[in-house]
Amino acid sequence: MIAESVTKTVVRYLPIVILAIAWEVIARMNLVDSLALPPLSKVAVAWADLMRDGELVDNGASSLYRGGVGLLLAIAIGGGLGIAMARSRILDMFINPLVELFYPLPKSALIPVTVLWLGFGDASKILLIFLGCMIPVTIGAYNGARGSDHALIWSARGMGAGSMRMIFDVVLPSALPEILNGVRTALALAFILLVSSELIVSQKGFGYLIGYLGSTGSYEGMYAVVLTVAFLGFGADRIYQLLMQRLLRWRE
Amino acid sequence: MDSKGQIVIDRVNHTYRPPRGRAVLALSDISLEIRPREFLALLGPSGCGKSTLLYLVGGFLPIEGGRILVEGKPVAAPGPDRGIVFQHFALFPWKTVRANILYGLERQGLPKPDREKRAQAFIDMVGLRGFEDSYPSQLSGGMKQRTAIARTLAIDPSILLMDEPFGALDAQTRSIMQTELLKIWQRSPKTVIFVTHDVQEAVYLSERVAVMSARPGRIKAIVETKFPERNPGILRTKEFVEKVDELWNLVHDEAVKAQETTAP
Amino acid sequence: MAGVEQQASLAEAETRISQDALRRFDDIFRRGAGLVSILAVLVAWEYFARSGKVTPFMLPAFSVVAQRIYIDAVHGDLWLNLGLTMYRALTGFVIAAIGGVVLGALMSRSKILRWFFDPLISVGFPMPKIAFLPIIILWLGLYDISKISMVVFDAIFPVVTATLAGIASVEKELLWSGRSMGAGEREMMWQIVLPAALPQIMTGLQVALPIALIVAIIAEMAMGGYGLGGAMMTASRYANSPGVFAGIVEIAVVGYILIKAMALVRRRLLVWHAEAADH
Repeated sequence: MIAESVTKTVVRYLPIVILAIAWEVIARMNLVDSLALPPLSKVAVAWADLMRDGELVDNGASSLYRGGVGLLLAIAIGGGLGIAMARSRILDMFINPLVELFYPLPKSALIPVTVLWLGFGDASKILLIFLGCMIPVTIGAYNGARGSDHALIWSARGMGAGSMRMIFDVVLPSALPEILNGVRTALALAFILLVSSELIVSQKGFGYLIGYLGSTGSYEGMYAVVLTVAFLGFGADRIYQLLMQRLLRWRE
Repeated sequence: MDSKGQIVIDRVNHTYRPPRGRAVLALSDISLEIRPREFLALLGPSGCGKSTLLYLVGGFLPIEGGRILVEGKPVAAPGPDRGIVFQHFALFPWKTVRANILYGLERQGLPKPDREKRAQAFIDMVGLRGFEDSYPSQLSGGMKQRTAIARTLAIDPSILLMDEPFGALDAQTRSIMQTELLKIWQRSPKTVIFVTHDVQEAVYLSERVAVMSARPGRIKAIVETKFPERNPGILRTKEFVEKVDELWNLVHDEAVKAQETTAP
Repeated sequence: MAGVEQQASLAEAETRISQDALRRFDDIFRRGAGLVSILAVLVAWEYFARSGKVTPFMLPAFSVVAQRIYIDAVHGDLWLNLGLTMYRALTGFVIAAIGGVVLGALMSRSKILRWFFDPLISVGFPMPKIAFLPIIILWLGLYDISKISMVVFDAIFPVVTATLAGIASVEKELLWSGRSMGAGEREMMWQIVLPAALPQIMTGLQVALPIALIVAIIAEMAMGGYGLGGAMMTASRYANSPGVFAGIVEIAVVGYILIKAMALVRRRLLVWHAEAADH
């Protein structure tokens, strides 16, 4: 049984392995300009070097710190705001137009303004990710909380649950799927905003490192960091999906 | 006697293989001969495989055991000689009524003026004049089924396969459609295999009823249901009611059996 | 007997018409409310900016920003920038749309293609593909082709996914009907499968278009030069606060127009779809 599912996974991801092999072969045979496409093996070596001398870890930590803080703030405040909007007509009336206005705005448009306000450092990135990611979380929380089964709320109230209690015991669990989906969108968006803003203007972080390595001609290293970030984004989504399934199964 | 529309089903088996789970024998050793221009009902409880048998004749499912001959030739693939009408209409939702009916005629390569004339004739025949340019989403269930029937008849198949065609309609519409179908068939007889679980419908419409057993489906009995006339008037005659009774008893045991077997 | 049928369906049609009228009124009402809230936001913006609680640098008044936009439109590069961004975004979008549908259709017919591309799509989808921009620049230089390629790379994923999902969800009875009426393989794909999958494919396109715009703008910001993104970055570097905010407003308007345009196209193409009225 286990052997079967392992085989299935291997077969499923085999194309990626094939691509990796093809990359190595094409690069080594110099079919393409060797500068533009260094062999995968050399990229791997560069990756190890960058890990060893701390460059990757340093910049990585910086990026993850900004992304993490911005995202957590967005989840906490955006989620709270969404739920509050769902429960309070007045709040809804005032904030809903704002949300509708900013929803279709390409969040990348906020990059120059956060730089304008807070410069090149951590603060502007955190603000950027916070602002950008708040929208999907707020919308998810809002929709989820609005859909909260009235019967559930009334019976909880009947049993003497106060407002705060109710939010945690009734509203939150039933809003969970929508909130979780909003957070998943926010997660992907956080990576995009993080990488973009660091590529455009930064002094530290993944994007900065990529740019630096590119400008000094260390293309193997550049590829290494690009792939690192790309797979981090993929990995984060996968892990989050597992978490989501776990959380949702729990409440069943 | 010409063999146009003759169907021979010879010791056919069929195994249903779901993507997950065990394989199930759906049909077991079915043999049946259907005469040209005969109206035959396939009657049986849910899950007995009657639709599966229909799909095998239509060429939509591969024949693994036994063989099916249409006009002496083995069935290999779907074709315009065997028209099919589904329970849920299967109309092309992005095409109007007229366009739906025209589709088969276009595939046949009929020249434009002939197509248009023929399509209009069938639109009129099923009573949909005035709705030619409506989309299926704008039509009622009965109208959708009329469109589906017109679409299939327009290509003039020698065999008509009908898979519980009135099952999705309300009771009144259903009885209206039954009589309409009878009239159409009486006017231009074709071989019809009519799948249903409704005993009265089977007796009313067909000349012979093949009763199928619960899964795995076998032909339990074949009963002649000839009446001197076929119209709504016969529904209350003694002969009719007795026939329905007779068949109902045959089916009832199988229906109970079908309920008892747990789903795989 | 046909008369009863027709009576029933006429009654149904009448109900549908009055429901449509109600829906239209509801639409107008909602649109009116939307306009009111936008106006409210703008008024609040102006008031807050002028109130002295923030510096004109942090939040220039809407009137100042509007003036900036006007100047750019009449004397400046607004149309040039707008045109360039639209060119890059839309070219990339069209290529991604066609390529995505073709790939999805081919994948639906070929087990091998499906096997090969499936992990690429599922791994690539959640990746911040913008990270590959420096590699694309390395290969293709600092020209439009790089920006457009980046757009295609990002926008093709939702299209392929939607096409696959749409094709997989076509009811088998539709396919069988087509077969039974004599349709061959190619006719099946063009005349039955793709039209049946169109609603879902459209959804994929509606997701892809905003992505195309976002990515085009990011690419412009990273590479500089002309275009809405590039202009905004330049304004930012020169501490031109009204310029930056003007860019935000311009991009917001463009984004809004594109979304609305897609919704209109969807309604036109899917007029036959039972739920089209609700989109």
